Amino acid sequence: MAQVLMKDLNKKYDEVHAVKDVNLHIRDKEFIVLVGPSGCGKTTTLRMLAGLEEITAGEIHIGDRLVNDLPPKDRDIAMVFQNYALYPHMTVYDNMAFGLKMRKFPRAEIEQRVRDAAQLLGIQELLKRKPRQLSGGQRQRVAVGRAIVRHPQVFLFDEPLSNLDAKLRVQMRVELKKLHNRLETTAVYVTHDQVEAMTLGDRVVVMKDGWIQQVGEPLELYAHPVNKFVAGFIGSPAMNFADVTINDTGGVVTAESQGLRLQVPPAKAGALRAYKGQSVAFGVRPEDVHIATGADPAGLTFDAVVEVVEPLGSEILLDVRAGSSTTTIVARVEPTVRSKVKDSIKLAVNPERLHFFDPKTEQAI
Amino acid sequence: MKRGGADTRLAYGLMAPALVLIIAVMAYPVAWEVWTSFTNFSVRSEGRAFVGLANYRAMLGDPLFWWALAVTIVYFLVTTTAKLALGLGMALLLARPSRLRALVFLAVFLPWAYPGGVTVVAWYWMLNPPLITSYSLVAGTLKHAVDSTLGPGAWAFVSVALFNVWRGGSFTAVFLLAGLNAIPTELFDYAALETRSAWQRLRHVTVPLLRPFLALAVFLSFTGAFADLANVWMLTGGRIVFPVIGTYAYWLGIRQGQFGEAAAWSLSLVPLLALALLVLFRWFDPPAERPA
Repeated sequence: MAQVLMKDLNKKYDEVHAVKDVNLHIRDKEFIVLVGPSGCGKTTTLRMLAGLEEITAGEIHIGDRLVNDLPPKDRDIAMVFQNYALYPHMTVYDNMAFGLKMRKFPRAEIEQRVRDAAQLLGIQELLKRKPRQLSGGQRQRVAVGRAIVRHPQVFLFDEPLSNLDAKLRVQMRVELKKLHNRLETTAVYVTHDQVEAMTLGDRVVVMKDGWIQQVGEPLELYAHPVNKFVAGFIGSPAMNFADVTINDTGGVVTAESQGLRLQVPPAKAGALRAYKGQSVAFGVRPEDVHIATGADPAGLTFDAVVEVVEPLGSEILLDVRAGSSTTTIVARVEPTVRSKVKDSIKLAVNPERLHFFDPKTEQAI
Repeated sequence: MKRGGADTRLAYGLMAPALVLIIAVMAYPVAWEVWTSFTNFSVRSEGRAFVGLANYRAMLGDPLFWWALAVTIVYFLVTTTAKLALGLGMALLLARPSRLRALVFLAVFLPWAYPGGVTVVAWYWMLNPPLITSYSLVAGTLKHAVDSTLGPGAWAFVSVALFNVWRGGSFTAVFLLAGLNAIPTELFDYAALETRSAWQRLRHVTVPLLRPFLALAVFLSFTGAFADLANVWMLTGGRIVFPVIGTYAYWLGIRQGQFGEAAAWSLSLVPLLALALLVLFRWFDPPAERPA
């Protein structure tokens, strides 16, 4: 078990600057998730940590050791790969024992560790099989088991669930979380799936174009995204965005676009006043838009026409068009709401949960 | 089941052209050869008579056959071992990303891509210089030294084996490189994390994963060595200083016109080939590993 420290980490290929000035302190026993769209540098960062990619500039420390020049085998890490990377010519047992055999562990200890891990993962029955006789979920377990038996300082996961079907993915996600709670080994997990990131991570690192965008606990990222990218990336369905113009009439700051005129709550008004007369990006999450009631002040409501109704059971998603504009907004409403397509309705937004982003830098205002 | 019957007929129909072709170019000549091996068909006598196993009996009683068989087997073992070692080494080097890769690849590929007839003449001249120069003195001394140490014919064996390894090694390299590229890189990444030395990686990961390709390389080398005619023939200038089964069969059939005996000699390879195939299939595709 160990902490991991990345200092000004960079990776440049011939043409591509894949990872840019990454600074990250992963605490001991922490489960940290690197998330971002493909090509954001998350996998490259993980592979540099594993020693599978050379570091162009910067430092990586695992525990109290600088590992920049250590080969992968000496970094005391265990990695789970996307395609499991099981050896087809070996049985499940031999696959799980491989790392320990190579390290010349005594036979009895190898056996003990493999049996323990197999029991933990419920794959005792499979030890004599070859990988090709296993289902995707079983292979996944073997790949995890192979990492567990090593008792490494850090677990590395490279999109380990992305080859599983949706149901199995949810199930394995829960199991991985339980496993981490039990083993308490530092883990670095790479995924492009923000749901996985939110559910698994003690903290989540959002990356884009090689830069770290934001590091934080899942709910912190969700509630306080630092920029428009993070706001749009985290959350499903995604945050609604609209370009609005900021007006200041007699001290009342409003955000307006076609069909939308919202009064900016006092907490944000101060900062937004600087953008008076300019266009900024406005964002609101679907669950922060609801059917207006008499209690909603007029400045926080708007008229809309229902375009699509998506009843999900526990909730209903309404795709609406705000007033006469072309702006589409998704509202997440109670399953009791009975709206039909083409209905005209009045919606209200939750004033505490409105987001505004600078039009140029896209940073949160 | 009616549907199934129609499907089966259609399947046979679709296979028919290929079957006809195989029968025409493979089955018929082989059958003809088998028949000929039971006759005394020869340019020396009129007609041909069925002689039963006489040709085979003569062959098995001929010390030259056993000598040729031994030479062939040693030739196969020596060249295959060398080609696999050389080819695997070159393939592993080529599999690493490098700026010079294209150049190295070309260098490795050339011996194989160049027309065999031309390269073999180059080797022949290199080993038996056509002009008297100081080099021919060196070549001659070398030949004499090898022959006097290892026995007559050793120089011919060494030179043919060298040529085979030089040419076949590059083919094996290209072949194994394709095999290496077909293996998911994650399997090698994992090996980099878990193995303690390059030797462990080679022994426990690379070679087992390449097993099907290695088996095929061995088999190609096997058939190459046993049927080798052109290279041996040209390198030795058509003299039987280096009898492999293939060369001697050619000598018997084409030079001496004894088709019956030549057919028997060629067919003597069949049981060996069948055995080799069986062993290799067992090795790289054991029944236990097939999907359950």
